[in-house]
Amino acid sequence: MAVTQKGVILAAEEGTGKGILSFLKQALSQSCFDAVLVPARVAAGDSFAYFLVQDEAFLEEASPLPPIMTVQGARVISRLTKRGKGKKRIAVVMRPCEARATIELAKLGQVDLENMTLITVDCPGVMPLSDYFKDPTKGDEVFKDACQAWNSKPMRPACRICDKFSASGGEDLHVGTLGTGSGKILIIPRSAKGEDMLNKLGIPLEGDISAWKTNVKSLTEERKKERKQANESLRANIEGIDKLTEAFSACINCHNCMRVCPICYCQQCNFDSDKMKFTFGDYITRAEASGSLTVPTDTLLFHIGRMLHMSLSCVSCGMCEDACPTAIRVAQIFTLVGDRNQEAFDYVPGRNVDELLPLTTFEQEEFLEVEQSYAGASAKQERQDD
Amino acid sequence: MQEPLPSRRDRMTKVLRLDKSSEDGLRELLRFLLEKGRVKGVLALRRMGEHGAMSYSLITNPDHIDSTVPLFPLMPVNLAKQLSRLTLMEPAGEPVAVVLRPCELRGFVELVKLKQGSLENFLFISSICGGVYPLEMAVTGDIGERLAQYWKAVEQGEVIADIRPACKACTYFVPYTADITLSILGNKGIDKQTVLFLNTGKGQKFVEGIPGQFSEEEPDSAALEEIRKAREAEREKLSDNVETKALGIDDLTKTFSRCIDCHNCSKVCPVCYCHVCFFDSKDSEHGPVYYETALEKNGCVNMLSDTTFYHLVRLYHISASCVECGLCADVCPANIPLWAISLKVGDSVQKAFDYLPGRDTEEGLPATAYTPEEFAQVE
Repeated sequence: MAVTQKGVILAAEEGTGKGILSFLKQALSQSCFDAVLVPARVAAGDSFAYFLVQDEAFLEEASPLPPIMTVQGARVISRLTKRGKGKKRIAVVMRPCEARATIELAKLGQVDLENMTLITVDCPGVMPLSDYFKDPTKGDEVFKDACQAWNSKPMRPACRICDKFSASGGEDLHVGTLGTGSGKILIIPRSAKGEDMLNKLGIPLEGDISAWKTNVKSLTEERKKERKQANESLRANIEGIDKLTEAFSACINCHNCMRVCPICYCQQCNFDSDKMKFTFGDYITRAEASGSLTVPTDTLLFHIGRMLHMSLSCVSCGMCEDACPTAIRVAQIFTLVGDRNQEAFDYVPGRNVDELLPLTTFEQEEFLEVEQSYAGASAKQERQDD
Repeated sequence: MQEPLPSRRDRMTKVLRLDKSSEDGLRELLRFLLEKGRVKGVLALRRMGEHGAMSYSLITNPDHIDSTVPLFPLMPVNLAKQLSRLTLMEPAGEPVAVVLRPCELRGFVELVKLKQGSLENFLFISSICGGVYPLEMAVTGDIGERLAQYWKAVEQGEVIADIRPACKACTYFVPYTADITLSILGNKGIDKQTVLFLNTGKGQKFVEGIPGQFSEEEPDSAALEEIRKAREAEREKLSDNVETKALGIDDLTKTFSRCIDCHNCSKVCPVCYCHVCFFDSKDSEHGPVYYETALEKNGCVNMLSDTTFYHLVRLYHISASCVECGLCADVCPANIPLWAISLKVGDSVQKAFDYLPGRDTEEGLPATAYTPEEFAQVE
């Protein structure tokens, strides 16, 4: 659908979170959906998890924009719908990168979106888990201040260079907060499903969203520049096999980056399978080839294999880096590679659920491109041979 | 009451001294073993990158021994798991010398009992262990500046500041089942002399002909007992930690409520060996009906509801064999004090069966051994 130029302005005197919850409560009571999937504080109070909620009283306790991402929301939706959709219609409140990953998982057959309404929120970023868990109370304060000022410094490195922090395509409704002024939020329909919901609630689409759009555009441009710079300077440090080996040299082969990744969905990773088990003799032969063999083996191969599998769908959420016990800059490296690969296919993961995954589509021109480059190379070779 | 020294069939009575600092002496021994062809390979910690990342390395070329740092106080992986990986399909076909920490060796002995590897052809060289720093400190580069202080404290036999909490509380710092034991903790003069106890006939045979002084002597039991007492006190202090004081279901649920369900504690655990964990399997996947039924019942469902269940089952599976290496807590993205929980639970389970994981290769796993008296006790 053509994305509307209008939205709904809602009062949110008690902050963005409460504003969103009040909208959700209204929609829940008018049966726009049957339940809400939303982050909330856990019992101990020092962390957050996704909760599936249908009682309004529980909804009151939710935190739609928590300071940390403990689990990528796309993984949660996959957990819920991987075996097919349920009976309930569920509204999900998540960050834009979580929604984009959800769209990718839907394309990969790991999520059923039919009964889901995706609601995204302008995202100020999330704090690294290790920073937050050192002192959760302080973490809450730091995050609150950072949100008010749209200060990305305390956030994940991936968040600091995120240029898709706002509505980015696949969501049904988006909550705009960037520069809307305190005490106000915007609800913007982003799909026919989203628009139907607002119609059902009887809220007329009369709010002007142009100021918000301008703000989003200008921050997007700024972040794009920062992202490009960050990518370039990182590239100088990791390009080539020696530098890449160095960058991953602290890897302990735990595969936790893969296990928290929203896109890595294989039931069993090749690198955890029997295919990667070798005989003692194989290990000795490999050690003898160069005098020594790093143990655990094949760590760089794992990262390159993972990159090959998921970089076209990588949403740069930064979960991998947060979960790495040796603080390898996994997310930054994958962002650099992902950006370049995605650009080559003019593909933006999560932009549109109907857009096919690059590796599952074929266009005739692609073949010509490949053919010509081979033709060019062989012609050059022939000239040299002459 | 724990014995001051591991009881073993081969007592620590034969000593080899090399006139070099402990790390240089150990390197000399490893080079000797490779050059003389006594071993095909050496497995030891090695400095990998410019930025000082450490990793184990299987070395076949003696020239590469120079880059090893066999005593560097870091455990990037528990080597037990890697030894299992190397010998899961077949035992080592040729001798390999392995330098590892006491808890790594104990972990491997447990894995061998669990049929996940083979002890065959390994020459185990371990040390009286001062402990290792948390992985996090390798990343921040904080270990380098502490090294001098570390070795000073090791010489004095002190409990070292800032090491893994699990190491501070470790009373099993004298290796069991090692062929050769390097005396470092509480050994004044480690920068001048390498003192190696040759515990087994195998250990004695492998070092034959190395230029050094051989003698007959006993380890200083009294000094080791002092260290053990200090660690014991630390153990009590740490396990009294409020976070794990109460192990009732409410407190456990709270402690584990921070869990992000990544299962990395199991992935790095030396004794968690299942090829596919139950909690990663299809049996643990719930369909939407499961969640929606719970939602109807409670009005609210935590989508990470199985985390406490996961940790309890893991404890149930591993507590008899837990060697308290502390790697689980080191890799936990949510800083859950897993080492303390394993320590408490492991201790009580192991005491109930009078079992110490990795103490003896011949000792059966409690759950696989049966004595008629046990039945009488239950009855």
